[in-house]
Amino acid sequence: MTESDTLPKLLKQAYEKYKDKKVAMRRKDLGIWNEYTWKDYYENVKYFSLGLVSLGLKPAKKVAIIGDNDVEYYVAEYAAQAAGGVVVPLYSDAGHAEIEFTVGHSESTFVLAHDQEQVDKLLKVQNALPNLRKIIYWDPKGLWNYEEPILISWEEVLRQGRKYEEEHGEVFEENIAKGKGDDLALILYTSGTTGVPKGAMLTHENLLFSTKSYLGAQGLTEEDEYFSYMSPAWMTEQIYGIAGGPYLGMTTNFAEEAGTVKEDVREIGPTIIFYGSRLWESTASTIQVKIADTAAIKRFIYRLCLPIGQKMFKLNIESKEASFFWKAVYKLAWVALFEPLLDKLGLSKVRIAYTGGTVLSPESFSFIGALGLGLRQVYGSTEAGVIAGHRDYIKPHTLGEPPPGADVKIKNGEIVVKSPGVFQGYYKNPEETAKVLKDGWFHTGDAGFFDEDVHLIFMDRVSELLKLPDGERFAPQFIESTLRFSPYIKDAMILGGKDKPYISAVIIIDYENIGKWAEDHKVVYTTFTDLSQKAEVCDLIQKEVEKTNESLPSTAKVKKFVNLHKEFDPDEAELTRTRKLRRGFMEDKYRELVDAIYSNKKDLTAEAYVRYRDGRTGKITTSVNIKSLD
Amino acid sequence: MKEQNAKLKAEGIYLAFGGVGALIDMNVEVKGLEILAIIGPNGAGKTCLINCISGFYHPQKGRIYFEGQDLTHLPSHKIAKLGISRTFQNIQLYTRMSTLDNLMAARHILLKQNPFWGAIYFGKALREEIEHRRRVEEVITFLEMQSIRKKVVGTLPYGQRKRVDLGRALAQEPKILLLDEPMAGMNVEEKEDMARFIIDIYEQRRIPIVLVEHDMGVVMDIADRIVVFDFGRKIAEGSPNEIKVNPNVIKAYLGAEEAAR
Repeated sequence: MTESDTLPKLLKQAYEKYKDKKVAMRRKDLGIWNEYTWKDYYENVKYFSLGLVSLGLKPAKKVAIIGDNDVEYYVAEYAAQAAGGVVVPLYSDAGHAEIEFTVGHSESTFVLAHDQEQVDKLLKVQNALPNLRKIIYWDPKGLWNYEEPILISWEEVLRQGRKYEEEHGEVFEENIAKGKGDDLALILYTSGTTGVPKGAMLTHENLLFSTKSYLGAQGLTEEDEYFSYMSPAWMTEQIYGIAGGPYLGMTTNFAEEAGTVKEDVREIGPTIIFYGSRLWESTASTIQVKIADTAAIKRFIYRLCLPIGQKMFKLNIESKEASFFWKAVYKLAWVALFEPLLDKLGLSKVRIAYTGGTVLSPESFSFIGALGLGLRQVYGSTEAGVIAGHRDYIKPHTLGEPPPGADVKIKNGEIVVKSPGVFQGYYKNPEETAKVLKDGWFHTGDAGFFDEDVHLIFMDRVSELLKLPDGERFAPQFIESTLRFSPYIKDAMILGGKDKPYISAVIIIDYENIGKWAEDHKVVYTTFTDLSQKAEVCDLIQKEVEKTNESLPSTAKVKKFVNLHKEFDPDEAELTRTRKLRRGFMEDKYRELVDAIYSNKKDLTAEAYVRYRDGRTGKITTSVNIKSLD
Repeated sequence: MKEQNAKLKAEGIYLAFGGVGALIDMNVEVKGLEILAIIGPNGAGKTCLINCISGFYHPQKGRIYFEGQDLTHLPSHKIAKLGISRTFQNIQLYTRMSTLDNLMAARHILLKQNPFWGAIYFGKALREEIEHRRRVEEVITFLEMQSIRKKVVGTLPYGQRKRVDLGRALAQEPKILLLDEPMAGMNVEEKEDMARFIIDIYEQRRIPIVLVEHDMGVVMDIADRIVVFDFGRKIAEGSPNEIKVNPNVIKAYLGAEEAAR
């Protein structure tokens, strides 16, 4: 059998292999899990693709998709690509300005919009989008009385597709056969830690490289159940869910809606799962808080069994065989604690768990490992797919090894990669392309090195490594992720540098957990702002920071910290959509606070402008305490 | 939809508690398919009228007709069976039951099988139950309550309980919906959601909606027609634009001096 070199060919292959014998996708509607076989999947793609063709989609034209993970999202991507189109996926929480930019810049001729919310955003900006021919929606709720001629329903496109087939015959199969591996498949707009978003152009070959060489080497089978949770606007979901499903023949499951993910995961019991590192960290801290709050007997079992798990995990990553005694003890601990605990999270059937995004703190890694889930770190980028990842051999602190076929080197401390996964450049942006793509090598901008097992170790962004006036270098992100392991700290930003002679932390308290703690300790509070500045809370955080300091080298300890009076918010551009900090922007925004910290003030009256979700702005004034650790 | 002509009419309603007249010679009519808002200061008699229509109070004088049928003295459960559903200002739900069970219980009035067959849960009764569940799930999806489907209502925040209350009314498949302050005590975002739901219900189900509400912004936005009450009497009636400039309304809301200016 020839290897499929495009996504639609991959789908066709899976369809021919399984037809209606196997379930390709599952989604909950009206409280019931509905199944879609490979035949359903393929035929939906077919008619939708022909529908797009009959509406005038031409090869190499762009089709944007905006919505939550859904059957239709996947179908639309394959349908557009089958017709030779290029897919531009968007995050469902993109604002109308972001949509206007992305759809406009990519010159998308069609946009798939999930529901009324997305349609409204598009209608608002449609006048600025001259290339746009149709907006296709798949959830008609609330759209019954919309009469804009640019709107067309999913069902109507399918109907036109069927009609088109009757009139023109087997165009779909011909279209698929016409596709080549070096055709563009996707333009993924990066969330952009700096400046305007850039559209990374990826061919089918680029995308399939990661799926085949990394995912294909993980021992996954068609029996596996995957839970689609990350946005397809993120490269990872493209590799795992969209390409991975047909490549491996596994079943992809969709949540009923964003709010039901937890229950839905539990009902499905996926066997492979990919969470961003922040989700793993919040999972870890949720467990710790819930345990602290549970009945004494359960807490006793937890305290008894957790060390057993830790011991087993330690043996595991050191590749040592456990003695018969420990194996038996672990079995008991599994039954008493780990299985019921993982079941509560819907993770009891997970065979392989992945983490990605920012680096997971070693503490979270060990904690989740002790529960029985050895997390495989995947390191990659939109521009180059998977650059490194753990396979069978899991090593904490590392990013794993490069997949076969990828050439990864360290050049002047920077990780660079050359592989079939490396992208074609940024769409209509040769200057930015030239900055990162030199002689076929993609420059990640990440600082790292290889260890003795050829596992890649990530330090930080090259640009983010900071140097204190005394010449000591430190990696702020590492300190931040260590701080975040505390159940009471939701986020942190580390300061320090040439005019900042020591390291300070700006801390965002975990409102839920500290709120609970405050209730238990009879600390009265009103809002987040109020709670964050309570003396008791400051003392609590101080203890947490001291704990973190113990695991830091003596040259890079946190000397001062403040509890910020508000949370970081992607809506205010403080975080990117994947919840990475926008450091430079933040230091400007909190300039006064930063100055106050380094001019040895004890507190600061902060005025902050906040933008509410409905677009209004408001001002809050509060006093922020600055605490020193000596 | 067949219920395009559903009409509700209250004629010469007089309701008094002791010597206090809560409703005095009140005439209100729902003219076919429309969103009718009833506004007025506190104690104007808005909720009293809703209570009269849904059979919780019975007026001392006057008549209430629904699709030509006199329901002035019918008990509330019979009125519900006729297709008049309502929500409550201070939410009346089974607080120890789940959202789903609350909505299922609402369909009690639509049950055809007797409790005996229901208990055996076989044959027709089983099929009926499944059908009811499907309809309830449609309401849950419609009102975006999937994530609270199995949560106990008593544990839900206020805004969500309001939504369940609305869901319960919808699950009865009403021919007309009476909403008693659906947005009271909500924040801006919750209000926007609720307004969207009301419009969605109106557009999808094509049923008239009577809306008692304090929030002027919302009322002006979504109502087709507004009736204004003050001290148990109707002081104005008309389109939102007419009501905005009506001197009686300004007087009732802002006091006599403002109106005189």
